[in-house]
Amino acid sequence: MPQSDTVLFTTMLTVKELSKNYGDFVAVDRISFSADKGSVFGLLGPNGAGKSTAINCIAGLLKPTSGHATVAGHDVVSDGKAARRNLGVVPQELALYEDLPAIENLRYWGKAYGLGGQALEDRVTQVLEYIGLNDRAKDMPKEFSGGMKRRLNFGCGIVHKPPVILLDEPTVGVDPQSRARLFDMVEAERDAGACIVYTTHYMEEAERLCDSLAIIDHGKLIAQGSVDELRAKLGARDVLQLSGHFPVEPTKQAISALIERGNADLEFLAQEEDSITLTLSNASQHLPAIFEAVSGTGGSVSETSLRSPNLETLFLLLTGTELRE
Amino acid sequence: MSFALTSFKKDIARWRQDYMATLIWLAIPLLTGGLITTLMGSDVKPHGTLLLVDEDQTFLSELIVGAYSAGELGELISVEKTDFDAGFQRVNDGEASGLLVIPEGFAQAFLESEPVTLTLRTNPSQTILPGIITNVTEILLDAGFYAHQLFGDEIEIITSMTDDPSDAQVAAIAVAIQNKMESVAPKLFPPVIEIEIIEPPAQEPRPPLALLFMPGIILMAVVFSANGLAGDFWREREQGTLRRLVFTSARMGEFLVGKALAAAVIIGFVGGFTLVLGFLYHGISFAKLPSSLVWIALSGIALFAWFGALQMLFSNQKTASIISMMLVFPLLMAGGSFFPLAILPGWIAAIGRIAPNGFMAHNLTLEITAPGPWSISLLSWFTLIVAAAIGLSICAWRLRAGFART
Repeated sequence: MPQSDTVLFTTMLTVKELSKNYGDFVAVDRISFSADKGSVFGLLGPNGAGKSTAINCIAGLLKPTSGHATVAGHDVVSDGKAARRNLGVVPQELALYEDLPAIENLRYWGKAYGLGGQALEDRVTQVLEYIGLNDRAKDMPKEFSGGMKRRLNFGCGIVHKPPVILLDEPTVGVDPQSRARLFDMVEAERDAGACIVYTTHYMEEAERLCDSLAIIDHGKLIAQGSVDELRAKLGARDVLQLSGHFPVEPTKQAISALIERGNADLEFLAQEEDSITLTLSNASQHLPAIFEAVSGTGGSVSETSLRSPNLETLFLLLTGTELRE
Repeated sequence: MSFALTSFKKDIARWRQDYMATLIWLAIPLLTGGLITTLMGSDVKPHGTLLLVDEDQTFLSELIVGAYSAGELGELISVEKTDFDAGFQRVNDGEASGLLVIPEGFAQAFLESEPVTLTLRTNPSQTILPGIITNVTEILLDAGFYAHQLFGDEIEIITSMTDDPSDAQVAAIAVAIQNKMESVAPKLFPPVIEIEIIEPPAQEPRPPLALLFMPGIILMAVVFSANGLAGDFWREREQGTLRRLVFTSARMGEFLVGKALAAAVIIGFVGGFTLVLGFLYHGISFAKLPSSLVWIALSGIALFAWFGALQMLFSNQKTASIISMMLVFPLLMAGGSFFPLAILPGWIAAIGRIAPNGFMAHNLTLEITAPGPWSISLLSWFTLIVAAAIGLSICAWRLRAGFART
């Protein structure tokens, strides 16, 4: 039997004031969040934001500088072994024995989590079917495609049926078909009652999978809540992106003048010499005024894009930078 | 300790996939051992062929042929009579060590002290046997010269006879020869120089040289395989499995124990294979096989642990691998894998026995040359166990201290 504890409470993962410093560099800065049973919690941020460091602190790979985290009620530092028994980690990089058959990989990692006997065999069979590698069970992962390896990597992380699963950027470098299959597996685990923490820098993944999420940048949580709550922060405003030539200071002044003239919800999201991104209500009605303001600065518009706000827009609003940087 | 068994089985299963590495670990020592054994352990004496073209066909020329075939020289050289063209071709083809041509009129010229030329053509691709043939030929010619000096008068009488000698003439020549022999005999038999033979002090019989090479060769296989297996720490790190292990509730110590046991079995297999070959070749009692095998397996664990600890000190796999390999050959040299410690000068052998593999090879030599099994001292067993334990402790410390986490 899996050695995870019988869980009677809904909050499976709690992170409080967690920090991780490397000398003077603060990789994770006093972040706090919690995740519930049967839900997917997204940890979003660009590369280098501190997501993986936070995950590694929760998983016991790194010792936090301060703060603490609990998994199924067990502190990851003082009660590490019990915490790890309740945790399944699917690391960002593949972590498989390429020269050991897929089924042996699953058996090995199951035993590493304390499974054994018939329970292990049953679970391995179940997971093989679940990740779609039943017919390749005896083949070596070195003969697998990238997507198949990803699925096996996922299977090895959940073979002991953990109540809490940490998925660290599981879709990096994965083809669309395997990505869709991974999404299905994540949703199936969630429906089975697992608490899933999902780190990604793909907003569309977070929007599809996550019930709640936190946005992290430079080691700090800059926003947190359900997807709807975070979307609401943008209101019903559209996102207008103009491409062309925009002299920096004159454009800034022209847009500020527009705001002062009564466009109170107009907001600058980002500005570069070849593009500006704005958010405002009923953008289509204000386009002529915006074009006029831009041409008055000596700039020119070559392309216009209007879209509904999404999490990426929110990230842009909060940090002033694109998420995929 | 159940995860130790799991870890052990996992490494054995992975090793079975990598049979090429095992073949390499075996091939180099076996090749080296085979060459050394062939060179050192063979009882085959060199043997050559002297082709002789006897164009004289006289008693004297037959005497020369007989001289090459007599006594111990006959064991080294076979004399074959042939004609000049065929003999010349065979020497040129490298099929014989030399070709000696005795020209027609040789006996006559010898008896009449006239110049005569014996032609000796030797095989340039050989060194020892043609040298022997040349020396023997020169000695024979010298002997002929001295015989001529000593019995010149008698030879002259014989050659001047036109008819068959009468009994009186034969008796006179025989008496003359006898008198000369008696006059020189005190100088020749015994020789004027007295030789005193001093027996060297009795030494304990030393095992055959090829047998002394055997432990070093086996340790070469052990060192290669231990070094190769120690590289698995880096391989596991590179493929992320060490890091993943930290996420689990398994103990790193059990993982390491499993890995060390797998190394012992694999090294035991590689070393055991060479050991059995050596036992069969040298006719060593198989009663010593278990003790020798245990010693090799334990040596393998110690070397695996120390190579592993060393490799884990470096910041990347390539550096670790290069430094580790650079250490292997000086170790093999110092530890007696190329020159047995038993035949090296005492002070060099003493240094060699300090080298880890030298210590292991020295004790294995004691074991296989001792009258009975389990001859390695308890102190040596203890030393090896402590060395293995310290090496594994360093590995465990390094794994926990960060090697597995990064």
